[in-house]
Amino acid sequence: MKVTFKIQRFIPENDTKPSFKEYVVEAQPNTTILDCLNDIRWHYDETLSFRRSCGHAICGSCAMNINGKNGLACQTHVQDLKSGAITVKPLPSFPIIKDLVVDLDKFYEKFNKIKPYLINDGPVPEKERLQSPEQQKLIEESTTCILCAACTSSCPSFWADDDYLGPSALLKAYRYIFDTRDTSAEERLSVVNDKHGVFRCHTIFNCNEACPKDINITNHIAKLKTALVTTKL
Amino acid sequence: MKKNVYELKYRYHTGSVAWVLHRLSGLALILYLVLHIWVISNLNNPAGFNKVMAFLNEPLFKLLELGLWGVIIYHAINGLRVILVDFFGGSKNQKKLFWGVVVVGIVVFIAGAVPFIGNLK
Repeated sequence: MKVTFKIQRFIPENDTKPSFKEYVVEAQPNTTILDCLNDIRWHYDETLSFRRSCGHAICGSCAMNINGKNGLACQTHVQDLKSGAITVKPLPSFPIIKDLVVDLDKFYEKFNKIKPYLINDGPVPEKERLQSPEQQKLIEESTTCILCAACTSSCPSFWADDDYLGPSALLKAYRYIFDTRDTSAEERLSVVNDKHGVFRCHTIFNCNEACPKDINITNHIAKLKTALVTTKL
Repeated sequence: MKKNVYELKYRYHTGSVAWVLHRLSGLALILYLVLHIWVISNLNNPAGFNKVMAFLNEPLFKLLELGLWGVIIYHAINGLRVILVDFFGGSKNQKKLFWGVVVVGIVVFIAGAVPFIGNLK
């Protein structure tokens, strides 16, 4: 079947504002949006720019805004979308570098603020730092994040406050604060307790809608809020 | 040269609609509070106060009062929903909770609106 794509094009050096270009490609209902974009780039217009890598929803490179909703192009099939033209735009709120490629510096800057690595001052054990299945379960969902930036890009609190950590960084903060092997929960909690931290979340749920891994991000942020109001820092 | 071009738009869904309504009802309540304080401040001058009160008895203001009742109910009950989401694990059921807010809100609204309209006659 023929599928029409309306793709946002923009070259900052030449254009004053983004415009849409239409492409018609041959696709099956189960063809992914990423395969369609590849088809366009390889056979119709080699100037179209977008990020992609693994094609199996694990690298997080191809996050973009498809029909108004953030998601991975490689995980979204033509049949998942309403019939009619498919609109593809870059992730909202990040500066556009070219076409569907955005500048994620702001995203990684926030990510680094919560120190996204294990901190443990105790003596290094001979074998692994053991966790019980229950302890692992506490952080299991939060460890499945692939850093695609779909959530942070969709968050109106992040749009309004440039310094807001955003859902992705807060989710990662949860992942280490509730990790029984990590000993710097207090330090991390003080980072997320900042005025640009966890209480900027107004439970809008855009992040949950956007997450291609179906992580209940709002729930993890809520648990951070609960931890902050129930523990003395 | 990098120009900062980006878009701030996202498709609406239950959670974001609930949030927008919460913000709008909050703003409406602030506006009401300002008006309310202005009305009360007229007590400095009893004759002026009676004039203002007569003006506020116009049907338009009765309708607005009914609207205020609706705004208060939404803001209060959705506020409870937000507390449930933030501190009692309500995020998994946030959509159902929103529809709960709508149903309970309508019931409470009618329970207040019926005697209010009855007293107008």
